[in-house]
Amino acid sequence: MRTGVIGLILSPTFSFLEMMWRICPALAVGCTVVVLVPPASPTPLLLAQLAGELGSFPGILNVISGPASLGPVLASQPGVQKVTFCGAIEEGRALRRTLAGKGAELGLALGAESLLMLTEAADVDSAVEGVVDAAWSDRSAGGLRLLIQESVWDETMRRLQERMARLRGGRGLDGAVDMGARGAAAHDLAQRYVREARSQGAQVFQAGAVPSDSPFFPPTLVSDLPPASPCTQAEVPWPVVVASPFRTAKEALAVANGTPRGASASVWSERLGQALELGYGLRVGTVWINAHGLRNAEVPTGGCKESGSSWSGGPDGLYEYLRPSGTPARLSYFSENLNYGTFGLAVPSTLPAGPEIGPSPATPYGLLIGGHFQAPGARSSRPIQDAQGNLHGYVAEGGAKDIRGAVEAAHQAAPGWVGQSPGARATLLWALATALERREAALTSRLERHGTELKDAKVEVELSARQLRAWGARAQAQGHVLQVAGLKGPVLRLREPLGVLAIVCPDEWPLLAFVSLLAAALAHGNTVVLVPSGACPIPALELCQDMAALLPAGLVNVVTGDRDHLTRCLALHQDVQALWYFGSAQGSQFVEWASAGNLKPVWVNRGCPWAWDQEAKGAGRELGLRAARTKALWLPMGD
Amino acid sequence: MPSVLAEPSLLPAFSKALDLSWISKMQVNQPAVLRRAQQIQARRTVKKEWQAAWLLKAVTFIDLTTLSGDDTSSNIQRLCYKAKYPIREDLLKTLNMHDKGLTTAAVCVYPARVCDAVRALKAAGCTIPVASVATGFPAGQTHLKTRLEEIRLAVEDGATEIDVVINRTLVLTGQWEALYDEIRQFRKACGEAHLKTILATGELGSLTNVYKASMIAMMAGSDFIKTSTGKETVNATFPVAIVMLRAIRDFFWKTGNKVGFKPAGGIRSAKDSLAWLSLVKEELGDEWLTPDLFRIGASTLLSDIERQVCNNPLSWDKLTSVFLRKKRKIPYWAMRTREKTSSDLPHCTQTSAFIQANPHLKWADWTRERECA
Repeated sequence: MRTGVIGLILSPTFSFLEMMWRICPALAVGCTVVVLVPPASPTPLLLAQLAGELGSFPGILNVISGPASLGPVLASQPGVQKVTFCGAIEEGRALRRTLAGKGAELGLALGAESLLMLTEAADVDSAVEGVVDAAWSDRSAGGLRLLIQESVWDETMRRLQERMARLRGGRGLDGAVDMGARGAAAHDLAQRYVREARSQGAQVFQAGAVPSDSPFFPPTLVSDLPPASPCTQAEVPWPVVVASPFRTAKEALAVANGTPRGASASVWSERLGQALELGYGLRVGTVWINAHGLRNAEVPTGGCKESGSSWSGGPDGLYEYLRPSGTPARLSYFSENLNYGTFGLAVPSTLPAGPEIGPSPATPYGLLIGGHFQAPGARSSRPIQDAQGNLHGYVAEGGAKDIRGAVEAAHQAAPGWVGQSPGARATLLWALATALERREAALTSRLERHGTELKDAKVEVELSARQLRAWGARAQAQGHVLQVAGLKGPVLRLREPLGVLAIVCPDEWPLLAFVSLLAAALAHGNTVVLVPSGACPIPALELCQDMAALLPAGLVNVVTGDRDHLTRCLALHQDVQALWYFGSAQGSQFVEWASAGNLKPVWVNRGCPWAWDQEAKGAGRELGLRAARTKALWLPMGD
Repeated sequence: MPSVLAEPSLLPAFSKALDLSWISKMQVNQPAVLRRAQQIQARRTVKKEWQAAWLLKAVTFIDLTTLSGDDTSSNIQRLCYKAKYPIREDLLKTLNMHDKGLTTAAVCVYPARVCDAVRALKAAGCTIPVASVATGFPAGQTHLKTRLEEIRLAVEDGATEIDVVINRTLVLTGQWEALYDEIRQFRKACGEAHLKTILATGELGSLTNVYKASMIAMMAGSDFIKTSTGKETVNATFPVAIVMLRAIRDFFWKTGNKVGFKPAGGIRSAKDSLAWLSLVKEELGDEWLTPDLFRIGASTLLSDIERQVCNNPLSWDKLTSVFLRKKRKIPYWAMRTREKTSSDLPHCTQTSAFIQANPHLKWADWTRERECA
């Protein structure tokens, strides 16, 4: 089902083609679009005029030409269901913070830097042409980070410098030039970067027949930049190329994945095995093998990490503008008096109300971290009341230290889990389903004590087992081949795990929601840190006993405690790759605000309860889409 | 316009000892080369008076070729005459180039016709070199002894350039030392004559083989490497040319010696020839754009260039203005509206005025002027 009104905010150096890539899918699925463009470009206004002349549907495409400060204003308008922002990383962060709690969903496509990895088995001349395509042409999005294997360093630098001398710059409309200009702002940015690089001791080489006055900047090659300098972490502006050497392919992967951005990269190697290994290992949205900058409407283009998670093109580009049928329109739930500084900071202490009566409960449940149960760092437990108000049991009071430990354990378990074959993952999930069925009686009685009807409880347990089995069956190698017109060779659309997924489970359907979310995340190869329902965590903790026995250590980590405090810890944690929050409206707003830290994708329920027992929600497509990220792998072929 | 080449400048024969490490690790990525080929054709086009200049320049690179079974002394004579006067006198007059001695670079014939060609050129009083194909052209599948004898006989008859064909069998089976030895023997048999090695790239199978064969040919002492015989199904194409030009550039970086390049076969239109000139300029630079280092092997190209020069606005305007002045009835194909320019000189004389004012300018300066304009 289509989303509704889309707002699109474009960066000052956007290209018309980029804009069309985003507008056309939105219009095609039935959304209407409002675009905010910088005042210097009149072409989108012309497009909107043409759209208006269509007659039967005026107003499907609207263009506002204004300064960047109008962006948050557009995004906060009631009625806008989704905002896509293309631009610089810092502005994206600021927008994310401003939009926390507002109705619109935010998609970010940030930064334009790409990466090129040149191994010694590459055709160096062709790779140099790839560098020209990537950085020194009008089609290139931004600057380039170039990694060259040491054995071919001298050869490559010589060829690069020779090739740069043949580049021509000038006015973009002249057919015989390679590079145009992108405005005074881009020119200043590039100049500042080059000046800083020089002052930190780098070698800067500039060449090419480019006019020397203001908006034109010559092609620039920066090398010998010391690894500790701030320029290595900052985004490389257009048309600068920063070259650094590496010794082995593994080192190159580590360097490449160490930057906080992850938009696109290319690998140049004639050895198929090495090229594919590097292509699969890079944590970016698009990988080209022995090519750079290829783009097509059928292939999804997007990024990960700090490059935002908004996609254009391909099936993912369409899903951006769709939402599951039956979902109501998004309304703003912004609450002004939420103090981001103090939300969840301190845990309210609960003293026992009176002397405990009744049989003494079992020992408190610990936290499941790293495959075994351990006591919480704060060495305290919280009591759980059942529906009648009697004491049901004690669960651990987890805190920031436990969260940190849990995330670390999840990271350690991640490579092993990703390396497992889909069949092995399916087997584990089915084994967990069997274990859950064996515990049916215990789980039903626990759920009943918390006020669920007997038959509802039975249904819940049964559905939970079924979910596990269903997701187990779906844990196949997620990837299929796209057939791209005009390209000889396949393009693979791979679905890769996000990494460490933090999930805060809802209070409704405590067991079913817990299991559904867990199963979906595990089936796609993620490792999870879960915070079970605050009111009824005990059925989940019962299941943890089986998980500790069956699953590899660190795969699933469960931390109980004060929900707001734990949410705060998870949302502010910079090493969690995604966060799903099903709790209160205030918590949702905080999560959205805090995700601006490392720009992790978040999924919040804004305080509205979900019907987990319905197919569309529990085992629905949305869960599957959100539990993994896409990567497009291009393999042009020919000899 | 630079003066045309009167004789082949005989560069001292250069050859290097075989070093297989120069080719052992080389791999060429074909899709990337194809992309680069498309880009060059799209991005470096030449218009207006510069187009006329480039077309005339392209004429000076042509090796006027006739390689048919039915060549006799009469058509060789016509060919040699055409080589001496490639473009019509009146067209050259409108461009004010009639006294510059514009001729093609060479004449290329079969070994049996070399005598006829030499005689015809002497009768015309022309010093254009005669190139002869040899070594079992076009397939090269004859015994080595006869191939070497062919070269010697052609040189005796008066050919000063020899186009030899390499043994594709050796390339396809990877026998690089044997290939090197053969070309060295061809080099010795040529003696003082210019050696052009035809790689027959259409039959080599992959771009990597083309690169390796080019390198071996250059190491063995060729003065030129040539893409194809003109008789294969696929002759000179841009991707192959890019690979060979890269090989020439690598050889130059390693040894300092410049080897020439000749595409042959399939170049029929003037637009193609301009694209080839752009390609060499982009990949190797302006120093390679002389008949010493660049030739185009073609037979029908010349007539197309002549037609293009005729249709060029430069000469066209002059011809129509002649008609208008003499108040003749203008034929329908001559009707064109012409914009009035502010300057007194009509368009066509601007080029020749420029040339006359700057006789010292070399080829490189021509194109730079365009960029500043």
